Amino acid sequence: MAENNVEMRESDRPPLSNARLGVLVLLGAETMLFSGLIGTFLVFRVGNVTWPPPSHIGIELPRAVTGINTVLLLLSGYTMFQARRAIQKDNLKQLRNWLLLTGGLGLLFLGVQGSEWVQLIRNGLTLQSGVYGGIFYVLIGCHAVHVLSAVIWLFIVLGMAMAGRFSAARYIGVDTCTIYWIFVVALWPILYVLVYLS
Amino acid sequence: MYRFFFWVSVLIFVMLIVPTYLEACPACKTLDDPIGKGFNWSILFLMAMPFTVFGVIGSTVYLQYRRANRKSTDQEIIYEK
Repeated sequence: MAENNVEMRESDRPPLSNARLGVLVLLGAETMLFSGLIGTFLVFRVGNVTWPPPSHIGIELPRAVTGINTVLLLLSGYTMFQARRAIQKDNLKQLRNWLLLTGGLGLLFLGVQGSEWVQLIRNGLTLQSGVYGGIFYVLIGCHAVHVLSAVIWLFIVLGMAMAGRFSAARYIGVDTCTIYWIFVVALWPILYVLVYLS
Repeated sequence: MYRFFFWVSVLIFVMLIVPTYLEACPACKTLDDPIGKGFNWSILFLMAMPFTVFGVIGSTVYLQYRRANRKSTDQEIIYEK
C-alpha cells in the first residue's frame, strides 16, 4: 500500500520541474540580453570598414591567451557535466571533486580575463576610449559577470553537496546549476569568435 | 465588395509603379552604406532570436512531456503483462 502511494506521488510529478522551467525562462531572458549586445556589436563591426577603428590601430586583443582561456572554459563545461553524472550515480565524493574542479577552472578563466583587461587598460583601451573599447568591455564584461555569478552559484551547490543535501533521487540544485553553467560556457565561443577573431 | 477590390488593386498598382514609396525602412534605402549593412545584419539577427528562444524552450518542454508519457505507457504495459 505504502509502495503504491509512493508510486502515485512519483507519477504525479510534472515531467519538467518548476525549478528547471524557471532556469529555462531565465536563460531565455539572458539570451535576449546578449542578443541585444551582439546586435549592437554587429552594427559597429559591419558598419566599420576597418576594425579596429583607425583611432585604435595599435591596440591588439590577446587572441592566443584568450583562445587557451576558451579551452579552459570548455573543459569546465565537461567537468560540470561529469559532476551531474556523478550525482546521478549517487557518488557524492566524485560530485564534490568535479564541482571543485569546475569552480577552479571558472576562477582561472576569470583571473586570466582580469589580467588581460589590466594589460589592455595599460595599452589605452578603456571604456571611454571610443566605440571599440565601449562595446568590448560591455560585451565581454557582461559575460564575465555571468561567469562570476555562475561560480558563486556553483560554490553554494558545492557547500550543499558537502552537507550531503543531494542524492541520486534528489539533485535539482546540481541540475539547475549545470544548465546555467553550460549556457555560460556555450555562449563564450560565440563571443570569442565575434569580438576577438572577426 | 467589387469596389473594394478594385481600389485595393489600384493602390497596389500605384505602389508598384512608384517603388520608392515601398521603401518604408530608411536603412534599406542605404544598403550600400556600411552602416546600413550593419543595421540590416543586426535587425535580421535580433528578428531571429525570439523564435530561437521560444523554439528551444518550447521543444524542451514538449520533449520532456513526450518522454514522460512514453515512460508511463511503458510502465502500464509492464503492469499489464
